[in-house]
Amino acid sequence: MWLHVTLNYTSAVELKGVGKWYSEILAVDNIDLNVKTGEIFSLLGPNGSGKSTTMKMLLGLVQPDGGSVRVLGIDVQKDPVAVKRQVGYVPESPRLYEFLTGIEYLDFIGDVYGIVTEEKRNRINEYLKALDLEGREGDMISGYSQGMKQKIALISALIHRPKLLILDEPLNGLDPKSARIVKDLLHELKGQGVTTLMSTHVLEIAQAMCDRIGIMYQGRILALGTMEELRVRASMPGSGLEDIFLKLTGAGDIRAVVEELLK
Amino acid sequence: MNWKNVAHLINVDRKSGRLIRGQRLTKYRESKLLTYIVYGGSLAFGILAGIGAGFIYNSVAAIDPQSKALFDQGLQSVFLSLPTLVLIYSLVFTMMQQIQRSGVRFSIQAPYWLPITWEEHTVASAFANLLGFPLASILFTGSAIIVASIFMNQVAYAVVTSIALVASAFMASVLTEIFRVLQVRFIGAIYRSTGRAAVWVRFAGSLLFLITFYIVYLFLTGAGAVNFVQTVATAQSTIWFVPFVWLSMTLYSFMNGLILQTLVFLTISVLFMVSLFYAAVGLNRRFGLYEPPAITVSRGTYVPRAGLLGRLGFSTAEAALIRKDLKAFTRRRELMFIFVVPLVIIMAPLMQAFSSTGRPTPSEAFPFLFAVVFLMPGAVVALSLGSVMIGEEGGAVWRIYSSPISAKSLVKSKYFFMIFFSALMTTITGIIGFLAFHPSLRVVLTALTVAFLLMFALSSISLANGIKGADFTELPRPRMIRTKWSLINLLLCGLAGLAILAPQIPVALTLIAPTSLLPTIDPNIALLISAGIALVITLAAYRLATRNAQELLTRAET
Repeated sequence: MWLHVTLNYTSAVELKGVGKWYSEILAVDNIDLNVKTGEIFSLLGPNGSGKSTTMKMLLGLVQPDGGSVRVLGIDVQKDPVAVKRQVGYVPESPRLYEFLTGIEYLDFIGDVYGIVTEEKRNRINEYLKALDLEGREGDMISGYSQGMKQKIALISALIHRPKLLILDEPLNGLDPKSARIVKDLLHELKGQGVTTLMSTHVLEIAQAMCDRIGIMYQGRILALGTMEELRVRASMPGSGLEDIFLKLTGAGDIRAVVEELLK
Repeated sequence: MNWKNVAHLINVDRKSGRLIRGQRLTKYRESKLLTYIVYGGSLAFGILAGIGAGFIYNSVAAIDPQSKALFDQGLQSVFLSLPTLVLIYSLVFTMMQQIQRSGVRFSIQAPYWLPITWEEHTVASAFANLLGFPLASILFTGSAIIVASIFMNQVAYAVVTSIALVASAFMASVLTEIFRVLQVRFIGAIYRSTGRAAVWVRFAGSLLFLITFYIVYLFLTGAGAVNFVQTVATAQSTIWFVPFVWLSMTLYSFMNGLILQTLVFLTISVLFMVSLFYAAVGLNRRFGLYEPPAITVSRGTYVPRAGLLGRLGFSTAEAALIRKDLKAFTRRRELMFIFVVPLVIIMAPLMQAFSSTGRPTPSEAFPFLFAVVFLMPGAVVALSLGSVMIGEEGGAVWRIYSSPISAKSLVKSKYFFMIFFSALMTTITGIIGFLAFHPSLRVVLTALTVAFLLMFALSSISLANGIKGADFTELPRPRMIRTKWSLINLLLCGLAGLAILAPQIPVALTLIAPTSLLPTIDPNIALLISAGIALVITLAAYRLATRNAQELLTRAET
């Protein structure tokens, strides 16, 4: 079981005035964001809106040009290793060590996070069984399908019982059963105080899973809140997330685009 | 056959070749100036060489008419052996290109789902293999012999020889295509049949292949080249039944006025080339998209093992990194060169010392040859290993960035791996050297100490540079280190190596010429000075490596 911990912070993630430039391109534009402890929070936005950059800044993988980033009460720039120890991360397209077998990779991850041998074995076996990787764990990862690689990446993010999960498109390539297991698992973890910050392009998932949603566009957070708050913000009572998203990001007139393509 | 498709595919291959060489592609349509310079230059140099040879021929003929006949005879031998030589050299060269393209499969897969036939793909691949050095050398050779033959009144022979050269090079390129496809299929079959041992079979097989290939390559381009050319020139008429010499046999028959024989060899040469091409097309159609089966390394219940590294004072994360790297270097083909390089290095002095054809090295030089065999492999391994230790992580480097691994731990684990590996290589090559040269105990101990000093110093320098210049690009070929930093590394390691070896030079000179007036130095003091220099370099470079790693981890942006 996941350990319940006494926390001396209320926000798992706290961004204040954070900005990031890539040469001439403004990837993240002075954003403020608070993700509460035990919350499932989703960042949505079109491609290139700054979601992945924001997530990478939380781990210290990208240095912000301005503002402050605190994760689990720790200043990321001051002590990134302490943050990484308590965070599980899955990037958008996780590249794994393809020359290792699935089990060797997870063993490596377990050792990197300093998990005790017996516990490491139990956890690895549990996850392999749950995500239907039993029987293939001894194969080199180079022979795995995209979905199997994603499962290994997800297990490696969960195996050390992190307090915060940063998941960039976590359900990419997963089969329905595994996707359901991951979704249920995230809900269970939320009950145990684990915070999840994820990004997804599948808006139904965000709507069904997340407590709050932030919509990013051109590096800024356009809207932030629960589904109800977003509906109010978009003046679209009763609407689904897809309609709200398209309206807020200015991509509402889809019909005209399709008609133009069919000409 | 749609030749437009062929041209597009050749262009894709050419661009992928440029990426392999580390050049950046900035535009879709690029300037062809460099291409014109390379091929035009080859042609121009060939013409100049031909004119030069023609003038020499005329001068010799004017002085001594008897030499003229010998010259003519020699020229005909050259004409006859050229197609076979071009075939062999082109084969080795194009095979070498394929070896370098371990990751290129992914970048050239796109054409497979476009409306392109296997014939178009195969012919494009065969032509693309010829671009660059092979084509330039054919242009040079062809223009040189045609121009020279004008002076020698053998233009017809030269033109026919030039056509045969192009055909030979094409044949070599098609053969490479066949080998490439067969190799993929063959390896797949091995993986399936060897089961869990596949990973070690692949390791041993790759090493064996690389070593054999490099020996052949060194032989053909090194001291054996002249002997080889002479052998080819004389032996091919006795092995006329081998299809690969039929082009030369066509030339031979033509030069001797044997019209029927010429026609027969020409026909069967063309038929052989066409068969080779369709064999390549057929193999591509059958196995071109073949994916080797997954390698199963382990089966059964997973039991984590407590490692020896933990008892040596490494944290679990550091030990995990070392174990991971060990698997990387024994399982990734592009990293296996590390095992091959030391063995290739020691081959040259060994072949020289015990040469059966050339002049053997006098036994007085054996202690120095032993020192080369002992010092060089470990030093070269340290130098090359360090420069790729971080870059080899490739796209998976995010795992290091996002894990709780400090800069100190990263450098410590990588450094230990390098030292362990270099020491292992030094031990192996040292044993080979000891058995070959029987040096005294003193020479062994001195070489061993200096080898370790070099290893420690060069490892820390190259690791510092490898971190600073890490290149995580993986396609079309893993780059691992940027060219600029590779050169800086080479320079700094060379200087450090010289500094460490400098105190040993007077000792070595005293051994060569004991009675000379050269300054003398006590060998123990020389060793102490070398150790002092190595210690300073090691410590300074290690600190620099840690600082570079810190920078790498905090500026991880990928």
